[in-house]
Amino acid sequence: MLRFMVARLLTAIPTLILVSITVFTMIRLVPGDPVTLMLGDNADQQVYDAMRHHLGLDQSIPTQMFLWFQALLHGDLGHSITTGEPVLQLVLHRFFVSAQLVLIAIAISAFIAVPLGMIAAWRQSSGFDLGVVITATMLMSIPTFWGGLMLLLFFGLKLGWLPVIGYVSIAQNFWSGLIYLIMPVASLVLHETGILVRMARASTLDVLRLDYITHARAKGLSDAAILTRHVARNAFGPTWTLLGLILGNLLGGVAVIETVFTIPGLGRLIVESIFGRDYPVLQGCLLFVAVTYVVVNLIIDLCYPLFDPRIKAQ
Amino acid sequence: MKKNALWFHFAFAGSVLFGASSLCAQTLNVQISADLRSSEPGINRDSLSDSVMMNVGEGLVAFGEGGDIKPMLAKSWNVSDNGTTYTFHLRDDVVFHNGAPLTAALAKQSLDTLRATPAFNCASFFDGSRGAAIEKITAPDAHTVVISLSKPDAMFLKYTAQSQCGGMAIMHPDSFSKDGSWDHPIGTGPFVFDKWTRGQSIHLTRFKDYKPVGDKIDGYAGRKEVLVDDVNLIVTPDKSTAVAALRSGDLDILPYLPPSEAKNLMNDPAFKVVAEPHGGMITLLMQTADPVLSSREMRLAIAKSLDIPQIVDAATNGLGTPNASLVATRSVYHDAVQDERIAYAPQDVTDLLKAAGYKGQEIVIQTNRRNPINENVAIISQAMLQMNGINARIEVLEWATQLDRFRNGKYQLSAFNYSNRADPALAYSAVTASKKDRGSAIWDDPKAIALLNDVLQTPDGPKRQALFDQLHELFLHDVPMLMLANGIDVSVTAADIVGYRTWNGFTRLWGVGVKK
Amino acid sequence: MSLRRTNQILGSSLVAFFLVVALTGLLWTPENPLAIHLQDKLMPPGPGHWLGTDEYGRDVLSRLMAAAGTSVSISTLTVLCSVFFGLILGALSGYCRGWVDRTIMLFTDTLLAFPSMLLALALLSIMGTNISGVIIALGLAYLPTVTRVVRGSVMSLREQDYIEASRLMGHPAGYTLLVHIIPNCLAPVIVIATSMFGSVLLTESALSFLGLGVPPPAPTWGNMLAGARPYMEQAVWLGIFPGLCISMTLLGINLFGDYVRDRFDPRMRGL
Repeated sequence: MLRFMVARLLTAIPTLILVSITVFTMIRLVPGDPVTLMLGDNADQQVYDAMRHHLGLDQSIPTQMFLWFQALLHGDLGHSITTGEPVLQLVLHRFFVSAQLVLIAIAISAFIAVPLGMIAAWRQSSGFDLGVVITATMLMSIPTFWGGLMLLLFFGLKLGWLPVIGYVSIAQNFWSGLIYLIMPVASLVLHETGILVRMARASTLDVLRLDYITHARAKGLSDAAILTRHVARNAFGPTWTLLGLILGNLLGGVAVIETVFTIPGLGRLIVESIFGRDYPVLQGCLLFVAVTYVVVNLIIDLCYPLFDPRIKAQ
Repeated sequence: MKKNALWFHFAFAGSVLFGASSLCAQTLNVQISADLRSSEPGINRDSLSDSVMMNVGEGLVAFGEGGDIKPMLAKSWNVSDNGTTYTFHLRDDVVFHNGAPLTAALAKQSLDTLRATPAFNCASFFDGSRGAAIEKITAPDAHTVVISLSKPDAMFLKYTAQSQCGGMAIMHPDSFSKDGSWDHPIGTGPFVFDKWTRGQSIHLTRFKDYKPVGDKIDGYAGRKEVLVDDVNLIVTPDKSTAVAALRSGDLDILPYLPPSEAKNLMNDPAFKVVAEPHGGMITLLMQTADPVLSSREMRLAIAKSLDIPQIVDAATNGLGTPNASLVATRSVYHDAVQDERIAYAPQDVTDLLKAAGYKGQEIVIQTNRRNPINENVAIISQAMLQMNGINARIEVLEWATQLDRFRNGKYQLSAFNYSNRADPALAYSAVTASKKDRGSAIWDDPKAIALLNDVLQTPDGPKRQALFDQLHELFLHDVPMLMLANGIDVSVTAADIVGYRTWNGFTRLWGVGVKK
Repeated sequence: MSLRRTNQILGSSLVAFFLVVALTGLLWTPENPLAIHLQDKLMPPGPGHWLGTDEYGRDVLSRLMAAAGTSVSISTLTVLCSVFFGLILGALSGYCRGWVDRTIMLFTDTLLAFPSMLLALALLSIMGTNISGVIIALGLAYLPTVTRVVRGSVMSLREQDYIEASRLMGHPAGYTLLVHIIPNCLAPVIVIATSMFGSVLLTESALSFLGLGVPPPAPTWGNMLAGARPYMEQAVWLGIFPGLCISMTLLGINLFGDYVRDRFDPRMRGL
């Protein structure tokens, strides 16, 4: 097991290096640099050159990259050009914010979607099934930011139940933190539930076709017993894999929701660092996202046998 | 300090739980659309950072309401007869936020540190590359600071007062940590920089020992009386969210709302909308070195195809005033001559295009989506140019990209805004230069450059006025770019906020109160 | 059976409806979708302008139709791009194994390690925001998914007897790939392609929301929606119609996609 984990992590190293090199080069190819932004319309060549030199941006890209890798090996991701904060601290802080948003949303979605999907599959072609599938498809057809905006207009403005802006960390103040999370989480949940219901339904259908279910039915086991004992475990496998993919994607992709609800998360940080040409922050963030992606997928793979006995048997 | 922070959290949680900001009426919640770049004035900055830091720090002198220089930390000053030595007499009642009294030695130290910082944004104003160089700063006694220049420079005080230089704010040496790196600002301004939660908010508190001078609010100078206990500047990048927060009471002031959105709130009794023009410029730049646009007839054809009053009206939702001159509408130098403009005359366009030898070449208008005014100007101009037989196309760029193209002169037409220029000479300096020396130069005409140099050496008065009038005539003749209007800040506040308006693009937090 | 029928009927009629609108929009619209009439701005739906006008007085119906053309073209081209290159890369990788496989997998892993949205954002910043930029960026972002699916099918196919037979008969690898392998892994690709079509639409609208989608004045549903935000209270129709178009098209595509999956995915056949 341990050997498998180490081997998996080692094979990820070339990917991570390639990711770093790509990000490093790509962001420097984008026209406009942090100094241009800092100076704005006061474009004095002398000041511009002095500031580029000060930030070490006048060196060649390979030299800059070498220095960055060298620092990376010492665990130093550098400092933000715009705010001067250490990148590692910044990324970890913002990651925690996004992670709590995404994890809560995914947990709630899975909690709603998996049972619904299973029941729909069990009652395949019934009115219930039809209703669930159509609703799920509709939910996943609504752009998240549009849904978020509608929630904001309705609950934040029309009813005035929930705060419209701001963010309080739940580590700092649990209850008010929770209140700020309701709407962003809800808009993610709406969308992800749609996707997960369909996945859970499809994988349950897959399992229901298998012989041992027919057996179980023939033995006269109750519906509930078959669903919980036999189907649930087996059908959860593919859903679990998808969960991993969604998680990886969401961590970087919640930028839009974070923008709508003014949450200082990782997604917004990445978008801001692209717009603000904050090279060290972007490099740090994307390396971090890539590492997270590798680790999440490793965990998913490690947990897979728990849900799918067929894998364990091999 | 600690107590303040606690109060802040309590207040914040309170407004969350009860959804009512009236409970903590002495706190202002102000939107800021992006986080500060740093809290170090004049070093790592953008206009938003300047806007916040000008509430915290003060320089020796400051701009008054009409762009004239007023006393601030210096109660008076003399200039030597040869124009190279400035002697400032400091006020003796000024203390820093940490309680230390202001002395000439501390002022000298602060200015020397600022000048020596490689990333000082305004280095070129004081190292001789634009005008005079600062040769040395001395403090002969506790309340006198003497600055010696390499040569006379009529603009010197105006340069120091610019917000992009942080107003050359005097900061206490303890603002730096022991290793010499910046820690947090300890200035003399009416607000104390209390707490900065990066990416979220900046908390300013009222400086209790601040001694207001003057009898009324006057630009960055004048009477700075703080009417609230503290201010939260809450980072809210999304405009629609900010409007929603204003409605729900989570925010009290939105300092810079795009006119199109502010317009929706104008007739609502729950809000107050204030539009304030400043010395910034809304322009359509033309690259005079471009093969097509190098012809004056071509540029004139473009100018006459555009119904500028209509563009300004639509782009600013009726809140802006057309102004074809680089001298701002509200400047003391904006006289009748400055009101002259190139009239909208589509009937002349065909002949001009023929004279220019235009054969339907595509002309690209660059713009961005960061500033809705630029986007509107580009979209409407494109439609008008198309109507008059000029084959215009829009290219929407990310802001940093457009800025990079601007810096290198790589554009044909560009819907571009200049930030506030407190003095007309600074506005002309921004656009007038040789393209060889400066890539971002727009107006490369030896006559104009010579006139500008005269302006820079001429003290305020009728002679300066005459020079500005000549410059404007020449500007209308050459058509190096189209000046459409001065920038405007449209701010929206809740109805119970009194006394708020932006000044020169600057979120001025003193004199603002909450009506009970 | 009833679900499949519903999928088929509802899905294909929605898709067909929007395809017709898109095709019409490419050829003809009631008014010029780019013509600005500032005196008619923000008119509510009514005779003359059946779906109202926007902040520049442009006819919303005409813009929606033109946008349908653009949006559908963007999605189609993006999907075609990633399917085409994905098929080539996946087939090579699955068939050749060895270093070719390892290189291609390293490449797809690298791409996968970026969330697709961010990859598109970064690429668009470099290439500038225009329609071809959007297509390339999104096409590249979806490439790894197709590549991996094709690779998986090819790897299981290449062990089949008839492939072995084709190889033994001395057919060159290219021939075997083109004639025997690729046609046989089209089913899962078609299934993915349908769902990708919808997600490209969604991502394009999100990119527009962040200010990096297809630039104005050319309309797409995404940038119309993003542009409607300031007027959400004053002119609801500006946001509702493009929003509905996106949601309804996606609904159609997803339902139709389910139907396609039932048809093409043999494992699902007969359910």
